[in-house]
Amino acid sequence: MRTSLFRTGLIGLTGIIPGILFAVIIFLALYSWPAIRFNGAGFLIRQMWSLGNLYANPVTIGATEVPIGAHYGILVFIVGTLATSALALLIAVPVSIGVAIFLAEGAPPRLRPLLSLIVDLLAVVPSVVYGLWGIAVLAPLVAHVIAPALGAVLGFIPFFAGGSPTGFGLLSSSLVLTLMVVPIITTTIYSALQQVLAPDKEAAYALGAMKLEMAVGVMLPAVRGSIIGAAILGLGRALGETMAVLMVSGGAINYLPTTITSPISTMASFIVSQLDSAEQDPTGMAVRSLAEIALVLFVITIVVNGIARMITRGLHVSLAGRG
Amino acid sequence: MQKEAREMLLRRTVLLGAAGGAAASALALVSRTALAANITLLETGSTLLYPLFNLWVPKYTAKNPGVRITTTSSGSGTGIAQAISGVAQIGASDAYMSDPQMKRNPDILNIPLAISAQTVNYNVPGLNKTNLKFSGPVLAGIYSGKITRWDDPAIAKLNPGVSLPTRVITPVHRTDGSGDTFIFSQYLAFSTPAWAKSVGYGTTISWPPVHGGIGAIGNPGMVEASGHTPFSIAYIGVSFHAQVAEAGLGTALLENRAGNFVLPTPKTVGAAAAAIEAKTPPDERISLIFAPGADSYPIINYEYAIVSTKQANPHVAAVLRDFLSWAVGPEGGNAPEFLDAVRFLPLPAKIAALSKQQIAKIR
Amino acid sequence: MSVSQAAADFPRLAYRRARARAGWGLAVLAFVLVAAPLLDILGLVAARGASAISPRLFTTVTNGISGGLLNAIVGTFVLSGGALVLGVPVGVGAGIYLAEFGSGPFGTVVRFLSDVLTGVPSIVLGYFSYITMVIGLGWQFSALAGAITLALMIVPYIARLTELSLRQLPVSLRESAYALGAPAHTVVFRIVFPIATPGVLTGVLLALAISVGETAPLIYTAGWSNYLWNGRLTHEPIGYLTYVVWSFINQPFASAHALAFAAAFLVVLVVLAINIAARLFLLGHRAV
Repeated sequence: MRTSLFRTGLIGLTGIIPGILFAVIIFLALYSWPAIRFNGAGFLIRQMWSLGNLYANPVTIGATEVPIGAHYGILVFIVGTLATSALALLIAVPVSIGVAIFLAEGAPPRLRPLLSLIVDLLAVVPSVVYGLWGIAVLAPLVAHVIAPALGAVLGFIPFFAGGSPTGFGLLSSSLVLTLMVVPIITTTIYSALQQVLAPDKEAAYALGAMKLEMAVGVMLPAVRGSIIGAAILGLGRALGETMAVLMVSGGAINYLPTTITSPISTMASFIVSQLDSAEQDPTGMAVRSLAEIALVLFVITIVVNGIARMITRGLHVSLAGRG
Repeated sequence: MQKEAREMLLRRTVLLGAAGGAAASALALVSRTALAANITLLETGSTLLYPLFNLWVPKYTAKNPGVRITTTSSGSGTGIAQAISGVAQIGASDAYMSDPQMKRNPDILNIPLAISAQTVNYNVPGLNKTNLKFSGPVLAGIYSGKITRWDDPAIAKLNPGVSLPTRVITPVHRTDGSGDTFIFSQYLAFSTPAWAKSVGYGTTISWPPVHGGIGAIGNPGMVEASGHTPFSIAYIGVSFHAQVAEAGLGTALLENRAGNFVLPTPKTVGAAAAAIEAKTPPDERISLIFAPGADSYPIINYEYAIVSTKQANPHVAAVLRDFLSWAVGPEGGNAPEFLDAVRFLPLPAKIAALSKQQIAKIR
Repeated sequence: MSVSQAAADFPRLAYRRARARAGWGLAVLAFVLVAAPLLDILGLVAARGASAISPRLFTTVTNGISGGLLNAIVGTFVLSGGALVLGVPVGVGAGIYLAEFGSGPFGTVVRFLSDVLTGVPSIVLGYFSYITMVIGLGWQFSALAGAITLALMIVPYIARLTELSLRQLPVSLRESAYALGAPAHTVVFRIVFPIATPGVLTGVLLALAISVGETAPLIYTAGWSNYLWNGRLTHEPIGYLTYVVWSFINQPFASAHALAFAAAFLVVLVVLAINIAARLFLLGHRAV
């Protein structure tokens, strides 16, 4: 009897998570419903975003009252969100694996707690501080060193050519996101690596493997599930991060990025940057359209997560097949 | 939504207030002495007014120990919304409320507290000590991507004899909602019909896509972005004068309505304020941008307290009236000891009187 | 490949050695790429905040643009502590369920939704709480609204990190316990959980770090207060360190900037202290 009580209790606690999510989704859906009806499907593919003239009397379009010239299209922010998160994960996952292996097997054992604390501390830095550092250090570095170097090496690909006069944009945003995501991924992989059983490791050594060969050949496959889970967690953080990205993204509006250093805006950062002005819209359509962005971000997160899971399931199968 | 919420909030606070009020009036009469009772005011909104409130509050609360005032920097739009919803007693805003907003919220007052100004700054190596001249139409051209290089004939024409570089201009604008964007875009709209028609003005506007242009966050973000980026141009609140100087940026001479090029000095800002003084209506919602007059600086504005006439209880209203009256008084909050630090200018006597008339309506 | 074979095959061994060296080089490089920005950030924060660090910081409340940060320090502890009190039982409970019993469809769905929840921008959760709690329930800006919002943010992290660390344990461990007839709660609390504690704790600390570093959702829920928290859960705004970082940096005064960086430094310090305390506690626990 106690067993079932225990499980029921756990199920109750577990049920809170979908409960929260559904509460937020229902709230957003109800709140943004007028905007969904007004904006239609074009919301997703239009490039122009304008709150309209908030100081003139609103006009009635169809049955809806909106400010004159109000026009809501979020393609630019969808692209910005996907581009920054993808680039950040592309850098963060290999770096995190490298750091985790270094911590678990490479670093002198006595130094490990200190070194892993350094990684943990990355998660502690407030996102605003990342933004300030991004403005003061990273953006100039991107403008004067990284972008020119990329242009010199990969400039034959248009995406990497052109340089960046300011450094504010896609690359800086992704690098800041990378730093924010790395501790989540590294910490998870590192603690998983520590749980790999000694006999498995010893078996590899017995076969004559070097330490790194053992780490890459035995330990990494053993924690594959954790790596994937950690990457998905990191992806969530990257998709939803606001302040730091806002401060170094260059705040692009009404145009799509063309190069790796183009200014961009992400959906999350755009919501923050527009909310204050949107609150001045007497018709409320601006805030409701921002709520619709949040709803779209939900859908994107669901789709991206789904795709990530499908890919990793395929990976599981192929690895299992090989093993 | 906000209105319903506010009514709900009012109902609750009236109940609370009635209880609190009964207790308080047992101790003191509703008058000056009521200020001794423990009253907490919440101020929230404009990031530009926030520093001034931070200078005011310690001085004011030192003299009125029963009053606690919390100052919050959240943005002008948030300030207005939270003053309307009743979550905050004072909403600070760089922009007055629009007509449609007023129609929906007739109980809300727009009370000018002081006068602020804005500079247009640039980073052109070698020319930052020269005060380059700009007009509204030229700035509109730069920010809409029609004028892309520093040696464009339109800029050269305003600056004869200056050797301008053939470099691409990087226009920097605010990404976050801002009173600075409001007054800057209003200057462009009032001086350039094409801008008024295609872009207009607001605390956030739909910036035309300009190749190489970027957005920055907050006035310090504008200073940093412009300071790190040669050949950029930006608009920055006058409170940040010291940071602008430290970053070594140039300050533009701006063309006013009379066709003269002026810098923001007490004289030119005062001239613009004086030109609008007589036109200021009793509800004080008026733009000071692009004012007439030979000496008038074109980008100045009233900084507003957005306050509801209907407060939760008479004690809160009394404290609000006292604090705001003190704030607009030349011996109180409008004294140079406060305004000089943020480079604001005091309200002209007639405007201060209008503000006091509005303050008296808070109940 | 056996040892003797490798020894006989010298070029092959040289290649493997070079490969290993390059591999370690890359791993060290990865660590340096991560550590260097952190040290730079900490250096920047410490250098700019140093002038504001004094005993007064911990003894007085914010007064305009100067004064101390006592109100913000207390508020950060209250908000983060509250978020942990609310979030840890839910997060750890859900994590245990997902790891031990979550192989069915319910577990799969929750796992998926939990990952989706981490992608919700904090400002959206903040605005959600603002409309529902601050205005809807009439709580006004309050510690409770702030703590709940932070809890909403950290629950999915705690749940998934708990799950990942429990899952890492070998199945044989559980099987042997179950084979001895131990009920599920005994297996979880006596066998699995003690071994997985470091991992779970790491997850909780990471979630704490995330909650302490947040600004945007709190501006709409906790508000901000220049005064010391008076213990009321609702109808009383509360201060917190990240607000100081965000809004004081936007003021034109040098003293405000120093205070902002000092606050940033304190945020890092507070979490560092909790981190070290938790690790020491864990070490002590293990020794026993």
